[in-house]
Amino acid sequence: MNLKFLHIILPLLPVIAVGETAPLTFEKQVRPILKAHCFQCHGEEEEHRGKLDTRLQRFLLKGGESGPAVVPGVPEESRMFRYVRDGKMPKGDKKLTSDEVATIRDWIAGGAKTVRPEPESIGPGYLTEEERAHWAFQPVKKPNVPNPAGGNTPIDKFLLERLQKEGLNFSPQADQVALICRLYLDLIGLPPPPEEVDEFVADQRPDAYELLVERLLSSPHYGERWGRHWLDVAGYSDSEGYDDDDSLRPNAFRYRDFVVKSFNEDMPFDQFIREQLAGDEMVPMPYQDLKEDEIRKLTATGFLRMVPDGTGGRIPDQVLGRHEVMRATVKQVSSALLGLTVACAECHDHRYDPIPQDDYYRLRAIFEPAIDWKRWRNPSQRRVSLLTTDEIREAAEIEKQAQEVESVIQPKLVENQKFIFESELLTIPEELREQVKAAGLAFQAAAEENRITRKPIEMLSPENEKLLAKYPSLKVDTVESRILLFLSKYENKLKELTDFLADVRKRAADIRKTKPEENFVRALTETPGPVPQTYIFARGNRSQPGKVVTPGSLSVLSTDGPFELQSDAPNLPSTGRRLAYAEFLTRRSHPLTARVLVNRVWMHHFGRGIVASPSNFGTRGEKPTHPELLDWLAAEFMDKGWSMKHLHRLVVNSAAYRQSSSRHGEGQKIDSENVLYWRMPIRRLEAEAVRDTILAVSGTLNRLPFGAPVTVTPDANQQMVVGTDKPSPGGDENRRSIYVQRRRTSPAYVLEVFDEPLMEPICELRDSSTVAPQALLLMNSSFILEQADAFARRVIDEAEPDSRSRVIRAWRLAYGATPSDSDVEDMVQYLGKQFDLLKDKIKPMPKPAQVTTAMKKEGEPEMKEPDPPTPESKALASLCQVLLASNRLLYVH
Amino acid sequence: MNTEFQNTAPGSCFSRRHFLGSGAMSLGPIALASLLKKDGLAAAEVHTKPPLEKLEYDLRPKKSPKDPTAKAMISLFMGGGPSHLDLFDPKPLLEKYDGKTFPGTEEILYDNAGGASKEVMASPFKFQKYGKSGLEFSELVPWTAKIADDITVVRSMNLVNVRNHEGGMRAMTTGTNVQFRPNLGSWLSYGLGSETENLPAFVALVIGNNPPGSPFWNAGFLPSIYQGTHVREAEPRIMNLKPASHLAGKSQDLQLELLQKINRRHLAEHPGENDLQARIANYEVAARMQTAATEAFDLKKESEATRMLYGIHNAATKRMGEACLIARRLVERGVRYVQIWNYSWDLHENINAALPKLTMSTDQPSAAMVMDLKARGMLESTHVYWGGEMGRLPVIQSRGQNKKPGRDHNTFGFSIWLAGGGVKGGHAHGATDEFGLNAVEDIVHHYDYLATVMHMFGLDAEELTYRRGRREESILFNQPGKVVDGILA
Repeated sequence: MNLKFLHIILPLLPVIAVGETAPLTFEKQVRPILKAHCFQCHGEEEEHRGKLDTRLQRFLLKGGESGPAVVPGVPEESRMFRYVRDGKMPKGDKKLTSDEVATIRDWIAGGAKTVRPEPESIGPGYLTEEERAHWAFQPVKKPNVPNPAGGNTPIDKFLLERLQKEGLNFSPQADQVALICRLYLDLIGLPPPPEEVDEFVADQRPDAYELLVERLLSSPHYGERWGRHWLDVAGYSDSEGYDDDDSLRPNAFRYRDFVVKSFNEDMPFDQFIREQLAGDEMVPMPYQDLKEDEIRKLTATGFLRMVPDGTGGRIPDQVLGRHEVMRATVKQVSSALLGLTVACAECHDHRYDPIPQDDYYRLRAIFEPAIDWKRWRNPSQRRVSLLTTDEIREAAEIEKQAQEVESVIQPKLVENQKFIFESELLTIPEELREQVKAAGLAFQAAAEENRITRKPIEMLSPENEKLLAKYPSLKVDTVESRILLFLSKYENKLKELTDFLADVRKRAADIRKTKPEENFVRALTETPGPVPQTYIFARGNRSQPGKVVTPGSLSVLSTDGPFELQSDAPNLPSTGRRLAYAEFLTRRSHPLTARVLVNRVWMHHFGRGIVASPSNFGTRGEKPTHPELLDWLAAEFMDKGWSMKHLHRLVVNSAAYRQSSSRHGEGQKIDSENVLYWRMPIRRLEAEAVRDTILAVSGTLNRLPFGAPVTVTPDANQQMVVGTDKPSPGGDENRRSIYVQRRRTSPAYVLEVFDEPLMEPICELRDSSTVAPQALLLMNSSFILEQADAFARRVIDEAEPDSRSRVIRAWRLAYGATPSDSDVEDMVQYLGKQFDLLKDKIKPMPKPAQVTTAMKKEGEPEMKEPDPPTPESKALASLCQVLLASNRLLYVH
Repeated sequence: MNTEFQNTAPGSCFSRRHFLGSGAMSLGPIALASLLKKDGLAAAEVHTKPPLEKLEYDLRPKKSPKDPTAKAMISLFMGGGPSHLDLFDPKPLLEKYDGKTFPGTEEILYDNAGGASKEVMASPFKFQKYGKSGLEFSELVPWTAKIADDITVVRSMNLVNVRNHEGGMRAMTTGTNVQFRPNLGSWLSYGLGSETENLPAFVALVIGNNPPGSPFWNAGFLPSIYQGTHVREAEPRIMNLKPASHLAGKSQDLQLELLQKINRRHLAEHPGENDLQARIANYEVAARMQTAATEAFDLKKESEATRMLYGIHNAATKRMGEACLIARRLVERGVRYVQIWNYSWDLHENINAALPKLTMSTDQPSAAMVMDLKARGMLESTHVYWGGEMGRLPVIQSRGQNKKPGRDHNTFGFSIWLAGGGVKGGHAHGATDEFGLNAVEDIVHHYDYLATVMHMFGLDAEELTYRRGRREESILFNQPGKVVDGILA
């Protein structure tokens, strides 16, 4: 039995079982090898190389141009064997492994058997029974819960049954402090305040734990924590990516807010998926005077607008850019919802999973009407305005008023034009005056006509042109900038005009300010009109369109009848393709959607999925460690209305989840990787949770939810920081990380260094690295130093003024738990030593004068100036920094 | 990488003595032998471990299984594809066909169909023989010509199944086009550890923008202690390297002492958590890096003559010069692998004007570094790579009417040059066809080159493996990489 757990993100090479006792058969052992290496030239393409088709055993017996490829029983006489053994085939550098060659040899030697009679004919989408039999493609059935000794919940029962078979059991329950810290960090991504810890520890009610779980699940911070996990799957980004331009997406945040709200409200997840894939198809066109739920549905489709899209910028190949959007969307949807990698089927049948090339394009056809490369809309053209008809009318009305105010400008300019003209005319020699005057007036008339019609006209006759070139000060139109220029020598007049203009403009601007603000939703929509065809591109090459396909699901997943849209929905203004697909995906019978989802939830609770490759449930992905548990959870999830919070309760209320994280000898010996969950694993917090926790402990966290993201800008050291170099009055730079701008090319350093993922196009599984820049950030960055100062101020405020009380308070704020005596001793001693070192370096400064109301700028919130640093406060801050930097803070235990 | 990549049995937890005695970067004892698969002694080592216990990883120096000729490597990675036809691989026949249609029977495979043409473009730059060896170089690389007798030019590079930049850079630096695999530097750090405790084993120094598809200096599936440390081209070369002024020195030492006390006590509560151990070690390296890296980056410590040699005074050569000088200083201080990334060679247009400008900025510093290494006796044990992930086509690519001509990608035949660490001097290896289109003679694939580098370090590319679930992973990724004996001295 193999307990080895595989940390694998990518499917790699085929693993061939050797030494099996049953005779080798074509379908089971040989076909997968041939499919990976031979089918493309010898089978899939219309012309078979050497007239050999390798897709069926009888084709191999029949052979090609040079005779039979396989002679049953005699490997040495079988060309296929000799060719692969000698490396003559396949062409190119990717040869068969020696194990694969041996399998082919043994199969031929054993008589080149098949499992069953082969089909009469095979089409392009031919799948074998063996391929269809892969576990993940079977419908979800709810297994019976086993009944081993111990455990309270179904999850416990499934896990214990397996553990006990190996002679193991759950570890004892973790202590109360560890439990509340675990729940806080896991469910809301923030540490518990010491008072909450005390309350929980003192709570004698038998359901104290469950009550805490309920409290956390109903916290508004829950959606920020778990919504963030979903944003990884969606590939959320505040910028378009694709190239260095990486222009901002000013409206993407509404989708983020939709996700947070949906998690907080526990929107049934099937509805959540349907709205993200096809919310627009649930809203009648045109998208005007939208009701609240209609805005939500359109916002939800922002999911499908998260992949990189460079088509709004200057990219070398616009059409390629459009195809890239489509390609990324198919990848995003299949990884996120199907847990399959379908990308390679764009060019040829999937080498390992039963996904024929046709299937890829059927999937593509679902999205083609909205992501139509022939009738393209770039990001700004895809926005949906939220202005209502009334607001549009109101805006027009206000605009009219503003223009009315501005209408006095032109007569004023004309008045000045006259003044200039008449004054300047006096400077012309008398004998020429009339002639110049006529020319000047002719020019004025032409200029006026030009101003009104905005059409180019011939301004002057050549004689007049010449004349006015000599006397340019008589060439006066009513263009404001020129009038002002002419007036520069008539100071009084100039001042009068500029004052006048400023006054009028201000009044107009004030009026315009009252216009209803125009907001946009980043949405995926279809435009009515001809429905684009989807072609299969030969070898993925878009210049070689082949046959037309209709939208459909992957054929292997259509377990209760194929999903195929024969004709587009007639009663919708859109094609209804995505809506139909979304409904198909959220049917009870779909084998993947719920399995993939509950696996991800499990992964975030336990640090690893039941299937360790969360976005690859295919044959190259990892096998489930507990297949029955996975199915039970998926079925239960669907049965209970796709409630995410119900799923959390199932998990966190289990004994498995409440276990201690300590290792013990027996467990280490039998299952050192803890595949069987004999203890709770320890794991590092994700980037966002690291930063949020530091802010919360320091007392600087700004809990304001939602809205436009906090900007990320470079500081003096070229480090990308949240907010700007200077603190903002509202403390925006201290908002939770989910509200920090995610620009693909310039992530905030504090998040990047802790493995914030780059969305290309989505993040399937996060890294958790340990590198020197993390240590340096926690030792020296201005971020950590500022937080440590704030933390120290908080401790000074909240604790008695002696060292002992302060270090205990600091420790409790950081870790919830009470420090051990030796920890306290060490910290107190540290403070003394550090004070001695700092007392000469930090000169006490006088307290700043209190900011008086008169000095305060209007609208600025009251800011409390911190006391100036003293050696004492700086010593404490340096201790607080140590607490923020320690492993205790970075890990969930 | 999963946080749980390393597990130890309980009881093997970190004691203070162990921590102080074993060096900060080690997470536990291991012989290189246990990283090697199959055969003999190495196999015996592996089997003494219980089947479920995972190996531990560290950065302590390890002896190569075979005698190495190289101990360190500096890769000057010229991303984008320097034109071999205009620098290192003279093709007189192109002059004959200049401006005419490509006469070859072979189909030219364009990567960018836009502006593709079959019009042959001869190099406008003159080639000449240099040194005792008579190696030929174009007039654009006069400094490289000066070190002709110290380098091998490989003129028969060829990438298998790769046409574009990202795939090509992955192939040249990780061994394959597949994403998320470890860089050569990570493999070398994994196999051989670091010769210094004060600096990272693997440094990636980036000039200009990160190359597309970055980072290429990740450890992939190898434990993250083998990841390359990113260094910027200008100060701050490493972020947050400088302590706050009031904490610098003793105050920070005191902080770290307390931090590690707390961390060790924490680890004692969770014995066997190697991730926690790694993070403790990480603080030690970071603390020492503050002074060691600052010192290594301080180019004022170099003599005026050396600085002149690298071209640091000159605006054109300053960026590359500083990078090359830092690379030498890092290797001198025990860093195993330094990779300088300079992604600027993708000249689809206006190659006649843009290429001289580029070589002006890189030629002197690159050659100066080799001269300097040689003068200091370091070249013998330091392998130097100069080149990109592709070359250019012999025909014109010109997008639009007003554009000046350039050349499209060519991964079928291109040149790189190598020096030191056991490589021949004054040698040209392999050849392209008479148009410089395809490598035809003594072809070197990307995996052959990587196998050769591993060989120079006394390693066998196929034997240095990392167990990843059911698979033994190597840098070759089942590709038939062969050591290129022809370039070895």
